[in-house]
Amino acid sequence: MAPHRFRPAAHAGHRLATLAVVTVAALGLAACSGGGGGEPETSDGGVLVYGLDSDVPNLVTPQNQGAASMILNAALHRGLVQYDADGQIVPALAETWEDENEQTFTFHLREGLTFHDGSDLTSEDVKATLEYIADPDNSAKLRGAASGISAIETPDDTTVEIELATPDAAFLSFLADVSGAVLPSESLGQEGPTYVGAGPFQYVSYEQGSSFVVEAFDDFYDASDVPLDGIEFQIIADQTARDNALLSGSVDVVSFVGWNSYDQVEQNDSLVLDRTEGPFMYLQFNTTPDSPFADPLVRQAVAYAVDRQGVIDSALSGQGEPLQGMPIPENSEYFNADYSDYYEQDLDRARELLADAGYPDGFTATMLSSSQYDFHENTAISVQADLAQIGIELEMNLPDWPTRLELGAAGDYDIAVYGTSGLTNDPAFLAEILTPVGRQNAPFGYDDTTVNDLLAKGRATTDVAERKAVYDELSEYVLEQAPIVTLAWRAQAFGYTTDVSGFSNIPGFLTFDSGYTLATTSIQ
Amino acid sequence: MALNIVKRLLAGAALLFVVATIVFVALQLVPGDPARTILTGTGATPTEEAVQALRDQLGLNLPIWQQYANFMGQLFTGSLGESLQNGQPVLDLVAQRLPRTLVLIGFSTVVSVLLGVLIGSTAARFGGWWDRIVLTATSVGIAIPSFVAAVLLVYAFGVQLKWLPSGGFVPFERDPGDFFRGLVLPTAALAIGFTGIIARMTRSAVLGIGNQDWVRTGRAVGLREDTVFRRHVLRNSLSPVLTVTGLQMGAMLGGTVIIERVFNYPGLSGLLIDGVTQRDYPIVQGVVLVIAALFVLLNIAVDIAYGFLDPRGRN
Repeated sequence: MAPHRFRPAAHAGHRLATLAVVTVAALGLAACSGGGGGEPETSDGGVLVYGLDSDVPNLVTPQNQGAASMILNAALHRGLVQYDADGQIVPALAETWEDENEQTFTFHLREGLTFHDGSDLTSEDVKATLEYIADPDNSAKLRGAASGISAIETPDDTTVEIELATPDAAFLSFLADVSGAVLPSESLGQEGPTYVGAGPFQYVSYEQGSSFVVEAFDDFYDASDVPLDGIEFQIIADQTARDNALLSGSVDVVSFVGWNSYDQVEQNDSLVLDRTEGPFMYLQFNTTPDSPFADPLVRQAVAYAVDRQGVIDSALSGQGEPLQGMPIPENSEYFNADYSDYYEQDLDRARELLADAGYPDGFTATMLSSSQYDFHENTAISVQADLAQIGIELEMNLPDWPTRLELGAAGDYDIAVYGTSGLTNDPAFLAEILTPVGRQNAPFGYDDTTVNDLLAKGRATTDVAERKAVYDELSEYVLEQAPIVTLAWRAQAFGYTTDVSGFSNIPGFLTFDSGYTLATTSIQ
Repeated sequence: MALNIVKRLLAGAALLFVVATIVFVALQLVPGDPARTILTGTGATPTEEAVQALRDQLGLNLPIWQQYANFMGQLFTGSLGESLQNGQPVLDLVAQRLPRTLVLIGFSTVVSVLLGVLIGSTAARFGGWWDRIVLTATSVGIAIPSFVAAVLLVYAFGVQLKWLPSGGFVPFERDPGDFFRGLVLPTAALAIGFTGIIARMTRSAVLGIGNQDWVRTGRAVGLREDTVFRRHVLRNSLSPVLTVTGLQMGAMLGGTVIIERVFNYPGLSGLLIDGVTQRDYPIVQGVVLVIAALFVLLNIAVDIAYGFLDPRGRN
């Protein structure tokens, strides 16, 4: 029987209908009302709305907690020295300094420095902070640099004398990193976040996973030159949501723009894409005797087999540059073109080397990467295809990031994908990826005396020309040994509206210290 | 009826106990160490001693049964533990995030039910071209995954037209206007599918009941069509709608993850996912338990509502 059709109603008195219409109308009104895009109150200096790429639930400044924490630290804190927009080391808390042979440093602090809580910042705080950083139990990012300190004297409140065991040409560049900030000595080692510092902005509020608000610190030593009244950091963990926030105008600055949105941002007249090549992707090998990659010839074969442009196209959406040798940035004094254009893809050569090593028919091995980050996973897949062409079959292990880190530290892989950045533009950072000091950043089981000695020598030499010679020798050796195979530089870009000025992306590895430029940022 | 509710609540409590145990065991089986994750960040190199020291501090080196006993003990005193990352009480975090997810679910439900019932019942009642439009539109609405709808909505209204914010959350106290504006797109994304389901459900129910003898009796007796429809047909067809609504709301409790990510909406699902990726056990355990508890309460509420709609279901 056909469904019964209702006879038309005499009058359409559906209360339900009315209620629905009213609700929809109310929502519509709410949608149209309310001016602006949800920006907070502004006054003459303005409040910058900044889209941050991840949450930092427990900010501990001396530790390495990722890029987002570095932006926050650069806003809240200052150390003895800092970087300017061009990556030069300039005064911060220390007004001037002298050094003898890069071994004895005397810093002169500015007069009248205070922390956000009003307490004085003296040489005692500097000493306490450096000792805290040097202590291996505290997992400080700059432990390596600070462990070279043999003595710290504080003859008066504004003078700090630092004596190093051996000369260290990279000492100042490490100190300029945002994690070298001076903290109040009472707060060191306390549980809880290290919000109190001596930087241009002070902590106002934090909501986990949501936002972080800071306001200008009036007693900052350079307060009159800080244009902003405050910064609201919105935590936008999802890359697409973050790009959309920039494109739709709900934030003023964003770190970092997704690679596949670069074109869109560049073509938008009201936005600026400020990019640099900073971090790089590379392959790590398990160099222990049982691993198929224990033989340098096999590792060299991999270096000749990989298609670096292929990695860039598939993993980085084309936003990067091939890295065919030592990961030393072009703008570094120690850059040597011979050692950066070392490996070209040459499959025949790769097969020859494999045969020489005793694997004419290739072999099977496991590749470790992570499915949590597209670019890590896609790099692994790209390399897998390349190595298949020379007979190396790779089984993929793609857990999430925490698991990948754990397996990496335990050496549970034959070959692995990793990405990192140098701590400073100084080649001393190479210790992090070539010696056991770097832990999961370095190839598992690799502890080469020649490399260790050359790195120590390069660090301790103060003459630039001599240092260059040492690093050239190191490059030659490392490229032949190939404990790692570098793949590509990754583009890192900040995106901001044309109303923002004074913010810039510090070139090379220092891109992560770009938060320093927040002190000179202004918005119209 | 009251006794019934009490029995249901006790059964619910037993269920939560089982859920808590399962979550605890599952987390212990997943590889990845919370302490190492916290210290390693994105490339840091803690010493093994530092990692072990943090494990001691967080109680992760205690024997499993003791960790379990501590966890259960905490539950009985009403505490969900503390975040491994910064010691914040999980209950506080949940209390902060839960209302927002509830607001999102609530708005979506209200919009979907009102629109859905309206569309479905009128489609059934009037038929013709309107019915055909409704059938097509609801098919499309149900077929589109909510995250596809979300991305399209953000792109159209947030990025291109710039009528609405592309995401984020403004508390009601700060700016009621922006609070509602921020809810429009996420609600729409969730409601597209939900409305379709409710509309279909209503339409079928109304058509089915329209055939019943007792409805024809009502008309024969002389009641106005309007009254027949409203008092007898619609009210009785709402039972299946209620069931589906209850199920959908329950599903949304943990299922708004992608919507919250796309819109950067700081709700409960986001907290859960972050907890999993950081291996922050107390947060994961706490959020799962809260969601399970809400689900139990939701089902009890649906049953009570049934009692009002249909006296036959009261006992």
